[in-house]
Amino acid sequence: MITIENLTKYYGTNRAVNDISFTINDNEILGFLGPNGAGKSTTMNMITGYLPMSAGKVMINGIDISRDPVKAKRDIGYLPEIPPVYPDMKVKEYLSFCAGLKRVPFGQRRDEIERVMKLLSITDVKGKLIHNLSKGYKQRVGFAQALLGDPKFLILDEPTVGLDPNQVVEVRNIIRSLKKNHSVIFSSHILSEVSEVCDRVVIINKGDIRAIDTIENLEKSFATGLVLHIKVKGDKTAAASIIELAPGVTELIDITDEGSGITSFTVQLEGDADEIRGNVMSELLKNGLTILEIFTDRPNLENVFIELINRPVQKSSLKELLDEITPTEDSADDETDDPADDSKEES
Amino acid sequence: MFPIYKKELHSFFCTPFAYTITTLFLLLFTYMISTKVANLETNIAIFSYTEIFYKVIFYFIFLIPIMTMRTFADERKFGTEVLLLTSPVSVLKIVIGKFLATVTVFLFMISGTAIFPIITAKYGNVVYSQLTCAYIGFFLWGTMFICVGMLISSMTENSVIAAIIGELIMFAFVFLDDFARTGFIAQYPKLQSVLMAFAAQPRFSYFSAGFIRLSDIVFFISAIFVLLSWTYISIEKRRWKRG
Repeated sequence: MITIENLTKYYGTNRAVNDISFTINDNEILGFLGPNGAGKSTTMNMITGYLPMSAGKVMINGIDISRDPVKAKRDIGYLPEIPPVYPDMKVKEYLSFCAGLKRVPFGQRRDEIERVMKLLSITDVKGKLIHNLSKGYKQRVGFAQALLGDPKFLILDEPTVGLDPNQVVEVRNIIRSLKKNHSVIFSSHILSEVSEVCDRVVIINKGDIRAIDTIENLEKSFATGLVLHIKVKGDKTAAASIIELAPGVTELIDITDEGSGITSFTVQLEGDADEIRGNVMSELLKNGLTILEIFTDRPNLENVFIELINRPVQKSSLKELLDEITPTEDSADDETDDPADDSKEES
Repeated sequence: MFPIYKKELHSFFCTPFAYTITTLFLLLFTYMISTKVANLETNIAIFSYTEIFYKVIFYFIFLIPIMTMRTFADERKFGTEVLLLTSPVSVLKIVIGKFLATVTVFLFMISGTAIFPIITAKYGNVVYSQLTCAYIGFFLWGTMFICVGMLISSMTENSVIAAIIGELIMFAFVFLDDFARTGFIAQYPKLQSVLMAFAAQPRFSYFSAGFIRLSDIVFFISAIFVLLSWTYISIEKRRWKRG
């Protein structure tokens, strides 16, 4: 299990990650979702021990990565955003070097390298210089490196970027298959990918966690904001007043005149959608109006995501508000740093 | 540490790099030897390997930064620094692994020069004790320069800039004693003594003259130790500063 407690990162005075806490359970695929520049890579870099944290703690199987980095890192396989490959090495040489770095026992190295090359379908390029490989292959070589030594935790930063659609599907299947023996943190800004592969998602924006839950729960929790679409034939004024006054309808969002006496209405609902829909239908029919189409629309994950990342973070105390505007001691020390640091803040 | 050492050797020896730089060095060395041999007929000429070594260290100003410029700068440039720093190897071992690999290439480079004393020994006499001292000094001087180059390389991601800055610093190092002896510095005896304490050139001249002094060995070893520590600190500092 990986436990992340109050993780914070400052770049100069700029706060890239703000007091985030979550856990990654064993045999779980955790999606790390957020727009570009949300703090995903920074967080992953801190979890893997590449970047030191300004505050907080990362425990890998009970080992604090800042206190015993060498021991903690043994359980981690990391694929950063840019695959860390040496262009002047051949694929097999590179994997052999990585196996040595990850302390794969000498006798097992050859089999282990063969295993990951087969898994990532890169056996056919094992004798090629990495410099000559396409972006997709480089990405897979980087992924293979992360799998060497069969680490318990895999941290994959946008592993499907740069791959063609077939490869994306392959990589997703590999990630799914890894669930049996590993825990995976998998970052992406592509929502469909995360919803397809992950058990739980952490949604992050501007360094703050906006939500941690399963995809289903996230969808459900936003299901209250349902929308009803109705297409009616007949007197549009009468229809509008019936729909607007129906209990449970909170707001008339849109009316479109579609010609030949047909009008489309879109309204916002609150409460039991089925009941409201039934009421509206019977009221319309009673008044002699013909219903051509009626359906409720659940906000899809895309909308949930957009809403979550755009929702302002509520400050629970005055202290948090003050923290927001006052740099901490760590960051004050860094104030003399190159201003370019801020621009490098996150990618 | 061993995988890093091996990988570094691979990048030196499985590419034309080590061979090109060794060839260049040996060509320069041979040029110097052959001009000395050509001048033997004149009465004023003195043929001494140690004197040749003394002059050859000027070539190091240009050659060693080329050897060391990529050590850390390229790791950063290609994003492979992440791989090293997230693997279960400490930064200290990374620094030592790279240092030992560069020293190995340096040894390979200077070992080629041994052919001249071997040929000379076949047809005449070589003062081995003095020659050994000169080689020890030669090795220590080069190793210290390797540490300077690695330190500079750890500070930038542009290997060309690492080489140029390394050359400037080594140039200053070589001429520090000349500068300290100028009339201007002589006005300030305390400053002069401080500068002279840091000057490595006079210390090397003892080695090339056939003396092994404990203070000189301590000087070079301390310089190597301090520079490697700074390299370690520089990498750690950069992690803390940005990433």
